[in-house]
Amino acid sequence: MHAIFRPPVNWRHRRFRYGLVVWRCLNCGAVHQYATRICRRCRSNRVAEDRLPDRARLVTLTVVKNPPVSFEKQAPYIVGLVEFEDGTKMLTGITDCEPEELKPGMELERVVRKIAEDGESGLIVYGYKFRPVIKRR
Amino acid sequence: MSKLSGISILGYGAYIPMFRIKAAEISRVWGLSESELPVVEKSVNSVDEDTATIAAEAASYAVARAGIDPSKIGAVYVGSESHPYAVKPTGTIVAEVLGVNSRLLSADLEFACKAGTEAMELVTGLVASGMIEYGLAIGADTAQGKPRDALEYTAASGGVAVVIGRSGEGAIADLEYASSYVTDTPDFWRRGHERYPMHGSRFTGAPAYFHHIISAVRMVQEDGYSLEEFDYAVFHQPNSKFPFAVAKMLGIPAKKVEPGVVVNVIGNTYAASSMMGLAKVLDQAKPGEKILMASYGSGAGSDVFIFRVKEGVLAKRNRAPLVSELIERKRYIDYALYLKARGKIRE
Repeated sequence: MHAIFRPPVNWRHRRFRYGLVVWRCLNCGAVHQYATRICRRCRSNRVAEDRLPDRARLVTLTVVKNPPVSFEKQAPYIVGLVEFEDGTKMLTGITDCEPEELKPGMELERVVRKIAEDGESGLIVYGYKFRPVIKRR
Repeated sequence: MSKLSGISILGYGAYIPMFRIKAAEISRVWGLSESELPVVEKSVNSVDEDTATIAAEAASYAVARAGIDPSKIGAVYVGSESHPYAVKPTGTIVAEVLGVNSRLLSADLEFACKAGTEAMELVTGLVASGMIEYGLAIGADTAQGKPRDALEYTAASGGVAVVIGRSGEGAIADLEYASSYVTDTPDFWRRGHERYPMHGSRFTGAPAYFHHIISAVRMVQEDGYSLEEFDYAVFHQPNSKFPFAVAKMLGIPAKKVEPGVVVNVIGNTYAASSMMGLAKVLDQAKPGEKILMASYGSGAGSDVFIFRVKEGVLAKRNRAPLVSELIERKRYIDYALYLKARGKIRE
């Protein structure tokens, strides 16, 4: 059970999980979730830190009713595919709504939520999720 | 302590989870009569929210309103009685989520419902001394109420953050006065490793809430202020009666208290409770108006502040959701979903 959320892995991914900080290849455009000097797709060394936008559009979604270990408390939960302005697509948890309220093309905003918990005594993993944009008057 | 100059609130942000449970739904299970219900409904955190996520969301709104580069924030203090970890700070999670520089002062505070305003006192001192340029003071909670206990009807979830810095263009409110009154009063407590707090029932009133807030406000008067000069009075709001009762004892008209009261519709957000009242007042106050604020934390103490609202509030107010908009964003859940969201279903 503890293999899923080893502290070093969780720590290494925190800037991506908390703020969608990515490392983008300036040669082929590939997006990496953690710091790298060499693009894993085209092997270019022209890689720069970037940040994905706070909003994205929903492409499609599914509902997870049989969650893996450490995700049980949140079931059933929504996992969606979202697309950013630059065309980058990403899987993400979607929160604060029911699946019926979601339509492809809908604008979603990024929040930071609990993703999983390693039992009662292990780490709590925080990270991005998306939700329908809060209505303003 | 006491009179201050050149210190301002530069940004503020509130966050309220979207779930609500009606007090009547809790009493459906435990059988309190309708006339005994202390509030109409309360906010409940989602299963994926805790004090860290609530604090981070409120703080992101505060930073958006302040319009400052988060890397210039020199302190992040989170006051709560429901920190996710017993050992491991909430403040560092919030700072990292906001993208605050690692050259940072951070700690978690605990002083029941006044832990958030204690963070405000500390950040004020750090800004006044010149040790930091900007600081974030946050009060956030996912408060615990034992099933069937009186507190279960009110213990709610929410958070408020303020960015405090030097006065200047863009100030939302100048902080003119800050002080505190504390004694050792055992009105409410939770021992280590216990899931729920205990309280002294009616003892939480006269010697606790009322004595400390009244004593804190008397200090303001002793220091030369007249209560008539305030346009708004914001008090800790553990239920819908206490803030109006303490105002009456102080001779402050109810209409000055009303604008900041949210407890009836979101419950007692503990460390965020009085700060939520402040945020709601800042959502509607006009430049030049004065605000008296007195928090209350069991154990016990009251932090007292005086703010003068500045022009900056007009341009900054709409950069983030208003408290009223967060109150309107709601979805009712029943007692079963409430138990699930609150982690009360044990395997």
